[in-house]
Amino acid sequence: MMRLENVLSPTPAKIIKTEKMTDIERLINLEFLDKNFAKEFIYKPGQFVEVSVMGVGEAPISICAARTNPDILQLCVRKVGRVTNAIHNRKEGDLLWIRGPYGNGFPMETIERSHLLLVGGGLGIAPLRGVLQYALQNREKYGEITVFYGIRCYNMMLFRDEFLHLFREGDKQNVKFYLSYEAPDDKECYELACERSDRCTQGVVTKLFEKTEVSPKNTYAIICGPPIMYKFVVRELIKREFRPEQIYMTLERRMKCGIGKCGHCILGNGTSIKYVCKDGPVFTYLDALNTKGMI
Amino acid sequence: MIYVKLPRENFTAFFESLKNYGKVYGPVKISESYGFKEVSNVAQLSLEYPRTMIPPKKFFVKPKERIFEFDEEKMEYRETVENTEIVIFGIHPCDINAIKLIDRVYINEMPDKYYQKRRENALLIGVSCHPDEYCFCKSTGTSYATDGFDLFLHEINDGYLVRVATEKGHKVITQNKHLIREVEARDMEDFKENERKRLTEFKLELNISGLQDMLELSHDRAIWREYADKCFGCGTCNLVCPTCRCYDVVDCVNLDLKTGERKRKWDSCMLRKHGLVAGGLNFRPTRVERLRNRFNCKGSLREDMMNCVGCGRCTVYCPADIRYVEVLQKVRGEIK
Repeated sequence: MMRLENVLSPTPAKIIKTEKMTDIERLINLEFLDKNFAKEFIYKPGQFVEVSVMGVGEAPISICAARTNPDILQLCVRKVGRVTNAIHNRKEGDLLWIRGPYGNGFPMETIERSHLLLVGGGLGIAPLRGVLQYALQNREKYGEITVFYGIRCYNMMLFRDEFLHLFREGDKQNVKFYLSYEAPDDKECYELACERSDRCTQGVVTKLFEKTEVSPKNTYAIICGPPIMYKFVVRELIKREFRPEQIYMTLERRMKCGIGKCGHCILGNGTSIKYVCKDGPVFTYLDALNTKGMI
Repeated sequence: MIYVKLPRENFTAFFESLKNYGKVYGPVKISESYGFKEVSNVAQLSLEYPRTMIPPKKFFVKPKERIFEFDEEKMEYRETVENTEIVIFGIHPCDINAIKLIDRVYINEMPDKYYQKRRENALLIGVSCHPDEYCFCKSTGTSYATDGFDLFLHEINDGYLVRVATEKGHKVITQNKHLIREVEARDMEDFKENERKRLTEFKLELNISGLQDMLELSHDRAIWREYADKCFGCGTCNLVCPTCRCYDVVDCVNLDLKTGERKRKWDSCMLRKHGLVAGGLNFRPTRVERLRNRFNCKGSLREDMMNCVGCGRCTVYCPADIRYVEVLQKVRGEIK
């Protein structure tokens, strides 16, 4: 009888570094113990992994970096539940168990030779960081890169050093980095707004559309953020004549298996049933128009 | 297809011989309903059963199962794939077709080792049936099983006409050839006559033409609210459905806090936490969304295929008396 591979088997990975990014988010850097496995563990921006803490459970977490060689798997984890709390409590040298990568990821080839508009809200910036890194690694393949990053306040800003560097110096790489912050009395953000009033504004992320001219010409928009954000961002894009297939977004659901079996991430209606874990998590706005309940 | 005849007088001996192929399970009467149980002799069987409460999916998608054991301290885990051979005797066509639908999910893409192993280790023997007032498998095109079984026994006047669909089934027939006869002209006539008669016995009908579109166009209709108000949200329909296969995953730790096991168990989309994500947001927050989601999920496994085999279980066992076919007739506007 043929030996069957077990798709539910996780592989151990060691935490080589865990960095506090905010009060609730940590950046977990992982290295697979099995070096051969690591070599074959190839992923695209926008894909996710199932992370296990044995005895606590398993949770889907998106990969927040583009693959490098030799690879360090980076996960940005917000503590919101049992598994993510346990991940936060793990120290350097501890093990996490990984399955994946799962999902379709962003179509980085399709969007080559185009301008990119990345719109991220809060933790939604994590998967977009993979797109951004990938595009910067292959800078000649992509046009102008514009990033809209919406945060609640300065203390909630993820990848702060990296993004502040892009905010200030991004233009050298043809990256325009815009920032919006919600807390009206945030001192640090106010200073950033004073520093570059054309790139930083107080308000929600859609406010940034007023700051700059966004043209649909040869451009793909990529959105990730809290569920409430999508329809407002899409509205701005449609107003600027983006076609639905020019808008990509990545969705969140509680994928327990990651491989289209457990049923939790099902959405849609009669003529269009989708599983976020295997048909997504990246969908176009055209998919959303076809599939009720997507956003 | 190979066709043979099992004369009635040889039935008991044939049934006894099945024990050579694994633990034998068959339909047994349990109080007011039926269930697949381990059986040791023909007398225990209730072959005239209308439907079992829990469908035979339970042999493949287990209500609860261990996926692996782990030892945190030693940093290891051990897969626990079982390897028991079983014979499931007396499955109806709807349930065979349901297993075929689950196969599409659990075997055709990203095969699930646990499921696939159990499928390989099972001998499936179908038995012909007659519809009751809840059956609508004729409408869903699943009243006949063309494949998905090893042997299928069609009752004829003096025994059974047996369809032999697989190598495994053929082996059983060969090893029992002293019990088997050739099919004669009269048997074929009996078979055809019975099949024709059977199709006239259906009382319940569901028009599935364009159903997917009808469901989608009814997305915002009040009908979901109407039935959600009746629905208890208990999830019984999921448990008894032969094509429902959602599962939840839980880790159980032993008292040493270092070793334990990961389990998966049946989940239900009618329960509140099915659509819940970390942080408390729920994508199907009320019974309206959950009920609608269930009907849409049953309406299409994939865009071109229904995920319902017309067995009638969800209607029979619904404590709120929600009738599946009636809901869809309302969706279609056939009744008000």
